[in-house]
Amino acid sequence: MSENGRVLVEARDVKREYRLKGDLIEAVRGISLEVGPGDFLAIVGPSGSGKSTLLHLLGAVDSPTSGGVFLDGSDVTSMSDPERARFRLEHVGLVFQRFHLLPMLTALENVELPMAEAGLSRRDRLARAEALLARVGLADRMRHRPGEISGGQRQRVAVARALANSPALLLADEPTGELDQTTSAGMLELFQSLNEDGTAIVVATHDLQLAEGAREQLRLVDGRIQA
Amino acid sequence: MLIFRYSARELLRHPARSLLAVLGVAVACAMLLDMLMLGGGLNASFRSLLTSAGYELRVSPAGTLPFDTGATIDDAGRVRAALEADPAVDGVAPVLGSNLLAEGWESPGEGRKGPGEASREDGPEELPGATRLFVLGVDPAEQGLYRLTSGTAPAPGGVVIGLELAEEGVEIGDTLTLRAPASFADAGRRSGRYVVLGIAEFLYSASGERSVAIPLSSLAELTDQPDRASLMMVRLADGQDPDGIADRLRAEYPGLEIASIGQLVETAARRLSYFRQLAAILGTVSLIVTTLLIGTIMAISINDRYGTIAALRAIGISRRSIVSAFLVESLMLCVVAAVLGLGLGLLVAGQLERILSDFPGLPSAIRFFVFEPDRLAWAAAGVLLAGVGAALVPAIRAMNAPIAATLHREEP
Repeated sequence: MSENGRVLVEARDVKREYRLKGDLIEAVRGISLEVGPGDFLAIVGPSGSGKSTLLHLLGAVDSPTSGGVFLDGSDVTSMSDPERARFRLEHVGLVFQRFHLLPMLTALENVELPMAEAGLSRRDRLARAEALLARVGLADRMRHRPGEISGGQRQRVAVARALANSPALLLADEPTGELDQTTSAGMLELFQSLNEDGTAIVVATHDLQLAEGAREQLRLVDGRIQA
Repeated sequence: MLIFRYSARELLRHPARSLLAVLGVAVACAMLLDMLMLGGGLNASFRSLLTSAGYELRVSPAGTLPFDTGATIDDAGRVRAALEADPAVDGVAPVLGSNLLAEGWESPGEGRKGPGEASREDGPEELPGATRLFVLGVDPAEQGLYRLTSGTAPAPGGVVIGLELAEEGVEIGDTLTLRAPASFADAGRRSGRYVVLGIAEFLYSASGERSVAIPLSSLAELTDQPDRASLMMVRLADGQDPDGIADRLRAEYPGLEIASIGQLVETAARRLSYFRQLAAILGTVSLIVTTLLIGTIMAISINDRYGTIAALRAIGISRRSIVSAFLVESLMLCVVAAVLGLGLGLLVAGQLERILSDFPGLPSAIRFFVFEPDRLAWAAAGVLLAGVGAALVPAIRAMNAPIAATLHREEP
């Protein structure tokens, strides 16, 4: 899946098991894949097939029970918790189905947040946050709080936040799950546009329209890749 | 700064919840401040009162505290002379205290006025309309019991009255008739007329007590207590160690109780230890209330945001930043509450002081609630620490929640 031989994220035979009420759940069962710069991959599959778990493993949000995950050549499974947090901050953008914006901060401040964490000056943060919000089509909504804008606009703010520290990889978990069809189409266009600009994107989705808009699809069933 | 903005706005997001928390913690803070003021205030006030007299040692009959009982020091003249001969001693002020009756007073040209009017009769019984006075027999040249506010010191045939009597209308130039009550068997018939020479603030008067001072010899004669003293106040020469001198003199005069101010304060502190215990218990309760209040509010607030916390951690916001945001939230609540609480505490202390100033047997100058800046600082610091500590527990719990599992739970 990589172009020019460079691999942004690689999963090597990753498994993820956890216990739920005493039962062993095998969410991901030995998956190997590579994502390179410029890739736009849609992970599809029924509920409970392990899409979100795989996405979390690829984004170093979760650790595999076995196997390895390498982000830009770094083995994230051997990193400490603070190291992984820093790595995610600088190298991975994450978008969630429920946006998870901070309701009392404006769109601009929400986008500023990861940059503030990364140590950017206020001036640089503001300039970049404004540019990112303009990039996702929210130049006129910068001072609005999440409660004052639509669901689609909130998700665009979340995308801008995910891009704050210029990650090479954008991971989105059901990004259109809370959006109507028209808004979802707009979100797909945004992802395609970002991808054309060089951002590698992996989305876990039930949304056929979004999946079909990706360059590649990966179908998961019961934690395994279905050919 | 973004974190401060976030924390402040989170508090404003639930104004009723934040307001209730602030009010609750403010009340707890007020109680903590009052208890801190009460815990050390009585001792500090007592020490300050004793020190203000300018005499470092107190000599009283063995086994008593000054004016604790009616016991007196016999052979007072000899004791005074012996003490004055000690090179460590700079001066000795003997005092004889006694309750006498005032049968009204007369003003030049106006005749008789005041209590006791129309009840004058000779006899050992207390007169129904007579006013009870606490009379101090002093050596006007060497005393530390009152401060003249007007007029002159007592002299033979003259008296200095306290502010209470002055407020009742007794003036300089009036004549007071004092007589011993029936309890002084032979002296019961004795009485004397004294011209008011001055008005003074009596340092050790209890609330509402009418105090006057006359020469020691006059009171000794009126009460038939020659060569006696209830108390001697000893002023030490410069550079002397009051505790050490008190210990030495106590060994030299086994029939007397000799104590430094520090030792008297210690004795009084032992007697009043229940105030300190009460203050310690209630102060602890107020800290516990603060901890529980802030802990509960922050736990509710943090539990509401588990999903957001997991998402923030997922995008790389560090545990430290997120915990800091919660601690700042808690700190803001506590700072506002502390400001309100300290003001409220001072207000309540003032009201309680008014009630307790009538505590029987204690000089009215004694303060139960003594304001000292460090008490204010301790109360504020206690509340802030308790609040921040209380927020730390739910914040750390939220930080330790697994990110992926929390996101799974939160996302549909």
